[in-house]
Amino acid sequence: MAVLSTFTNRWVDYSLKMLFRGWFVMSVLLFASGLDLRAQTTREYEVKAAFLNDFAQFVEWPADAFVGVKSPIVIGILGDDPFGDSLGEIVRDENVDNRPVVIGRYQRVQDIKACQILFISQSENKRLEEIFAGLKDRSILTVGDFDGFTKRGGMIRFVTEKNKIRFRINVEAAKTANLTISSKLLRLAEIITPGKD
Amino acid sequence: MAPLKRILLAEDNERDLELTMAALEENNLANEVVVARDGAEALDYLYNRGKFAGHANGFPVVVLLDLKMPKIDGLEVLKTMRSDSYLRHIPVVMITSSREEQDLIRSYELGVNAYVVKPVDFQKFVESVKQVGFFWAIVNEPPPGTMKRSG
Amino acid sequence: MLQNIPIQRKLMTVNLLTSGAVLLLTCLAFFGYEVLTFRQATVQRLSTLGKIISANSTAALAFDDSDVANEILAALKAEPRIVAAGLYGTTGKLFAQYPVNSPASTFPSAPEQDGYHFERGHLAGFQPVMQSGRRLGTLYMEYDMGAMYEQLWRRGEIAALVMGVSLLTAYLLSRTLQKQISMPILALAETAHAVSKQRDFSVRAVKFGEDELGLLTDAFNQMLAEIQKLNATLEERVRERTGQLEIANKELEAFSYSVSHDLRAPLRHVDGFVDLLRKQSAEKLDDRGRRYLDIIAASARQMGTLIDDLLVFSRMSRGDLRRSKVASESLVHEVRDALQGEARGRVVWKIDSLPQVEADAAMLRQVWANLIGNAMKYSRTRDPAKIEIGCDTVNDEFVFFVRDNGVGFDMQYVDKLFGVFQRLHRADEFEGTGIGLANVRRIVSRHGGRTWAESKVDGGATFFFSLPKTPAETKG
Repeated sequence: MAVLSTFTNRWVDYSLKMLFRGWFVMSVLLFASGLDLRAQTTREYEVKAAFLNDFAQFVEWPADAFVGVKSPIVIGILGDDPFGDSLGEIVRDENVDNRPVVIGRYQRVQDIKACQILFISQSENKRLEEIFAGLKDRSILTVGDFDGFTKRGGMIRFVTEKNKIRFRINVEAAKTANLTISSKLLRLAEIITPGKD
Repeated sequence: MAPLKRILLAEDNERDLELTMAALEENNLANEVVVARDGAEALDYLYNRGKFAGHANGFPVVVLLDLKMPKIDGLEVLKTMRSDSYLRHIPVVMITSSREEQDLIRSYELGVNAYVVKPVDFQKFVESVKQVGFFWAIVNEPPPGTMKRSG
Repeated sequence: MLQNIPIQRKLMTVNLLTSGAVLLLTCLAFFGYEVLTFRQATVQRLSTLGKIISANSTAALAFDDSDVANEILAALKAEPRIVAAGLYGTTGKLFAQYPVNSPASTFPSAPEQDGYHFERGHLAGFQPVMQSGRRLGTLYMEYDMGAMYEQLWRRGEIAALVMGVSLLTAYLLSRTLQKQISMPILALAETAHAVSKQRDFSVRAVKFGEDELGLLTDAFNQMLAEIQKLNATLEERVRERTGQLEIANKELEAFSYSVSHDLRAPLRHVDGFVDLLRKQSAEKLDDRGRRYLDIIAASARQMGTLIDDLLVFSRMSRGDLRRSKVASESLVHEVRDALQGEARGRVVWKIDSLPQVEADAAMLRQVWANLIGNAMKYSRTRDPAKIEIGCDTVNDEFVFFVRDNGVGFDMQYVDKLFGVFQRLHRADEFEGTGIGLANVRRIVSRHGGRTWAESKVDGGATFFFSLPKTPAETKG
C-alpha cells in the first residue's frame, strides 16, 4: 500500500511538474521575443556575480590576508560596476567559513585596503599593468572578463562559450599571490600559462 | 402241577436268608431250594464236593447269588462258573443290596443273566422273587443236563 | 501422534525433530542477522560513495558545469551495481546524470527527502551536496541489490546443504546411539512377550548395562525367577493335594459302597420281619399295635429312600460327565410326560422352544425331573396350576427357568434351598427328602453353570439354572 501510494504521489507530482514546465517554456518563448541586448547583458552579470561569490568557497587565502578570524570576505569592484544590484543581493546573508561577505567598490588601486576577491572592470583595461603592480605581494584573487586578462597577469577570467559562462585560470599568478585554488574549481576551468594566451 | 426245578441259593446273612425263604415260600418255590451259606459252599454243591460230596445232584436250573459273602463272594463264584466248561451255561441271578454301578458292570462283564436289587420294602421284594422264580424255574428252558424233578 | 510407533522410531523421531528444530532456528537467526548486516553495510557503502561524489561535484554544481558533473558521476562505472545516479541543482532540476544516455524517466523528477530506502530489490536515496555549510544540490543514487540477494541466496543454499548434512549425521548417529536405549527395552519386551505367550518362566532377559534399564532388567528377571519358584512349589502342592483328594475320594467310594450294602440290610430286615409279623400275628394285636407296626415299616422305608437319595447325590458328585448334544425341549417334554401321571389336566403348561445344549443327558434329565417335579408338587393346591418353562440367552450362557404359581417360599431362606436335606416345608405338607435341589445345584455346577431362585410366599416360585453355550472342560 505504502509503495503504491508513494508511486501514486510521485505520479501526481510528475504530472503537475510537466504541466508547470510546459507553462514555463511557453512564457519564456513569449518573453524572449521582446528581449533586447541590454537584458541579456544584465543576466550575464547576474551569473558572474554569483560566480564571484562562489569563488570564495573554492579558494584558500593565507591567514595574513585577513585582519581577524571573523573579518569579512571582501569582494571588491575596481572601476565601473557592471553588476548593478545583483551582487549586493547575492552576498547578503552569505557566510563563508564564519565570515560574512561584503562588497567594496574602488576607483583607484590605492583605495584598496582589506580585499580578498577583486573584480577588475573593463573600464580599467588600460591601467591593468599598473593595477597588478599595485597589488603585488597582496593575496587578492583578481577576476576580470576582458581579452588578455589572464595573459597579462590576472588570475581568473570569465569567458562566454556557447551561451555559457566558463572561466580560465592563471594558476601561476594565484600561486605567486599565495592563493590556493581548489582542484574542483580548476577542473572546471581552462588553465592558462602566461605568454601562451 | 408243573414240574419244579432245583434252585441253588447262596446267602450268608441269616436274616436275609429267612426273608428270602419266606418270599420263596409265599410263591411256593421254597421246596426246590438248596441253600449255601457262602460262595465256597455254593461251589462245593456245584462240584459235588465237601458237604455235598457223593450226592450227584445234577445242575440247578438257576443260581441265586448274594454279592457280598465271606470267603468267596458272589462275583468270584460267578467267575469260576463262567470259566468252567460244565457250569458256564447255568443261569445266574444276582440278588443283592448293592445298587452300585461298579457291581452292576462287573456282574454283567462276568456274564450274569439277571441282576435284582433287594428293596427295603419287603412286599416289593416278595414281588421280585416271585417274578425271578417264576421266570427261571418255570418259564425258562434250562440248558441240557439240568436236573428236573416233579413236585 | 507418537504413541503407537515402535520405540526405536520414537527415539529417532524425537532426536531428529529436536536437532532439526535447533538447526533450523540457528540457520534462520544466522540468515536474518546476515540480511540485516548486509543491508546496513550496503547503505553505509552507498552513502560513503555518495559523500565522495558529492564532495567532488560541489564546484560543478556551484559553477553550473553539467559536463564536468557528468564526468564525475561517470566515475561510478567502477561500481557496476550502481544502476543510476543523478545530481539535482538547488532549483530541483536534474543537472547531471549517470549513465549519461539513460532516459529522464529513470530518475525521480525532483529530489525527495534525504536518506536511503529499499524498494523492489533496489536501494535508492538522496544525499545533500554541501560546500562550506551551503547546500548546493542533491545527489540521487540507485543501487541494484539483485547481486547481493543472489549472494544471500547462495549462502542460503550453503546453509540448507549444511543443515541437510547435519540432519543426515544426526540421523546416522541417532540410529546407532538409540540402540543404547532401545536394545535393552526391546530385549525386555521380547522376553515379556515370550513369557506371556509360552508361559515359560525359565527364560531371562539379556542385560546390557548397569543403568536404570539394567536395573529394570534385573528386577524383571528376579520377578521371573520368583514366579518360576512359586510355580514349581505350586505344582508340587497341587500334586500333593491331588493325591490326598484321590485318597479321600477312594475312601468316600468305599464308604458309599458299604452304605449301599450294609446300611440297607438292617432296614430291609426291619421291614421284612414287620411284614412277616403282621401276617402271622395281626389278629393277636390291637389297632394300636398294628399302627405301630405300620410306623416301624414306614420309617424303615423312609430311611431306605434317604439312603438311596444320598447315594444318588454322591454318585452325581463323583461319576464322570458324559457329554453329548441334548435337545432340551424334547427332554423337557419327555420328563413332563413321565411325571404328569395323576396331574394330567390339572396343570396348564407353557413350554417355550428350548436350545440344544452339550451336557450329560442322564444328569440333565435328573435336573429337569427335580425342577418340574417340584413345580408340580408345590402348585398342586392351585386350580389351575400354571407351569412355565423357558430359556433366555444372556451373554455366553443359556439361562433356563421353571416358573410355577404354587405356594412359593420366603426369600429369607433362599440360601438353604439348595442344601442337602434342607427343607422349607414339613413332610406332612409336601413329601420329599430335601435332596432334589442339592442334586440340581451339584449337576449344574459340574456343567459350569449356576442355580438360583426367586419367589414370594404364596406367589409362586421361579427356579433358574444356567449352562455355558460352549462348555469348558471340567474335571469329572
